[in-house]
Amino acid sequence: MQRFIKLLRKIADGVAGAMLATLFAVFIIQIAARYVFNLPVGWTQEVQATLWLWLVLWGAAFCLRDEDQVKFDLLYHMAPIRWQRIFAGLAAVSIVIAVAAALPAAWDYVDFYYRKRSAVLQVRMKWVFIIYIVFSVGLIVRYTLGLIAILRSPDAPPSRPSLHPPEEAR
Amino acid sequence: MSFAFAVCLAAVFGLAAIGTPIGYSLLVSATLYLAIDGADLALAAEQLIQSIYDGYTLLAVPLFIIAANIMNAGTISQRLLTFCVAVVGRFRGGMGHVNILSSLIFSGMSGSAVADAAGIGKIITEMMIKTGHYSRGYAAAVTAASATIGPIIPPSIPMVMYALISNQSIGYLFLAGILPGLLMGLVLMLMNWTISWRRKIPVEAPTPLRDAPGITIRAFPALMMPVILLSGIYGGATTPTEAAAIAALYALLLAVGLYRSLRLREFYRVVVESARQSATVGIVIGCALIFNYIVATERIPEALSNQMSELQISPLMFLLAMNLLILGLGCLLDATTIILVVLPLFVPTAQALGIDLVHFGVVMVVNAMLGLITPPYGMLLFVINAVTGIPLRDIIVNVLPFLGALLIALLLLTIFPDISLLLPRYFGYMG
Repeated sequence: MQRFIKLLRKIADGVAGAMLATLFAVFIIQIAARYVFNLPVGWTQEVQATLWLWLVLWGAAFCLRDEDQVKFDLLYHMAPIRWQRIFAGLAAVSIVIAVAAALPAAWDYVDFYYRKRSAVLQVRMKWVFIIYIVFSVGLIVRYTLGLIAILRSPDAPPSRPSLHPPEEAR
Repeated sequence: MSFAFAVCLAAVFGLAAIGTPIGYSLLVSATLYLAIDGADLALAAEQLIQSIYDGYTLLAVPLFIIAANIMNAGTISQRLLTFCVAVVGRFRGGMGHVNILSSLIFSGMSGSAVADAAGIGKIITEMMIKTGHYSRGYAAAVTAASATIGPIIPPSIPMVMYALISNQSIGYLFLAGILPGLLMGLVLMLMNWTISWRRKIPVEAPTPLRDAPGITIRAFPALMMPVILLSGIYGGATTPTEAAAIAALYALLLAVGLYRSLRLREFYRVVVESARQSATVGIVIGCALIFNYIVATERIPEALSNQMSELQISPLMFLLAMNLLILGLGCLLDATTIILVVLPLFVPTAQALGIDLVHFGVVMVVNAMLGLITPPYGMLLFVINAVTGIPLRDIIVNVLPFLGALLIALLLLTIFPDISLLLPRYFGYMG
């Protein structure tokens, strides 16, 4: 199980890295095409926007450790462990409920874009926006697992929901 | 303010206070607002997707992040430091000046205060301690204080965010940051000189003049980075976003080709880390924009603006009050949150009072950057503590005089808009 999770983590990081590297490369192609070869290309902006959207949502759902997130954890760290568990539990419950409640509507929204195609590459926008659904499901699963972990070990400090073990933290 | 919005606001504060990631606190509260309001819950998804997908200028963010990380991974930072030692190392408090000057130059490349502190800042902190003349706390404090300049001198990720929420030109905002950034460097150097003089810190042996040409040549390609970046933007050749890509490419070429200091394995690590940092910033931006959408539908900024104009408050009073507010919030909140969530509330008021929005942006971004070194919650203090192991207490005690110096700079910037607006006007800004 541990090895499986480690593998998943590596894949998630690799995918995010590949998206950023591709985004960077597409920019270089665009600049070279426009300024060096004087051949403006239209597809690059579409690819860039898609990769950026995917990078943010994929990264947030699968790559970010909880301590990577921007947050205000002053009170959290001052609180005794019992309260930390309550805080982490409350946060997890509200995220799971809110994201799950909005999921059907979000799906309708994304599905609606099946009819619309992108201007240059003629990709169905549904497949571009589908990453939001992946992100939502990823969040629900992660924070549900985090919640289960809190409930299971009544005395331990809450393990913040993350694919990444804490020792890797900066 | 509607009932739904009051609940939403309470939820944001409540969730954020217990340590929920800020982005998700905003997302959850926005969903709650839509539910109470009886609106379509898909609006949250729509706002997040569309603002990230259509936010072309935002693409500069991942590119500036990757550029900074490449420079930190290669030996570019090291070469810059040797150069700075040769230039200002000979004065009293020499290594402190080196620290500040290297931040000034590095900030012309990276656009991120945290990248400055964690990369070149870590190396120079250790160099300062090694001389035996500076305490660990002092070395770390100079690093922290000077890293705040990073996002003031272009390029700047916070300025990109401000451009996004205020609809101002990134190009003019970048230009407007140059003189204020130099002013901040100047007041920090004066403070460093004063403290070194008082503590009778001995002057270092100056770098021999005959070494100077070699050192300059070795650092020259790296020193050219800001020039390339700025001439790309202001020569009209590239958009700021494309300039960011060029900066990253240039850093990569230097690190791999010229300096041969970046191996493939390390490059992979740099890309993955950059991707992670981009997602960290991106998700906060996306979620903050959902929240801003709700704030805008509730007409909160207009209401604030109307109330303020009824108070007949003078523009200067407003700016000073804003400074106090943001400084207070900066002790507790992250700069990203302040710029994306708090500032949009006040932009219409500033505009109604006739305050130039580029000037407003510079003052507020400088202020938000000071928030990075104000205890108890100061991101830069944490980062330097994490990368050097120097205790937070020591850093905080030593950073206070520098914070004071920066506050004076902030006050000058607030009172004299010309400091920020001189360069943009020279380049055709009609403000």
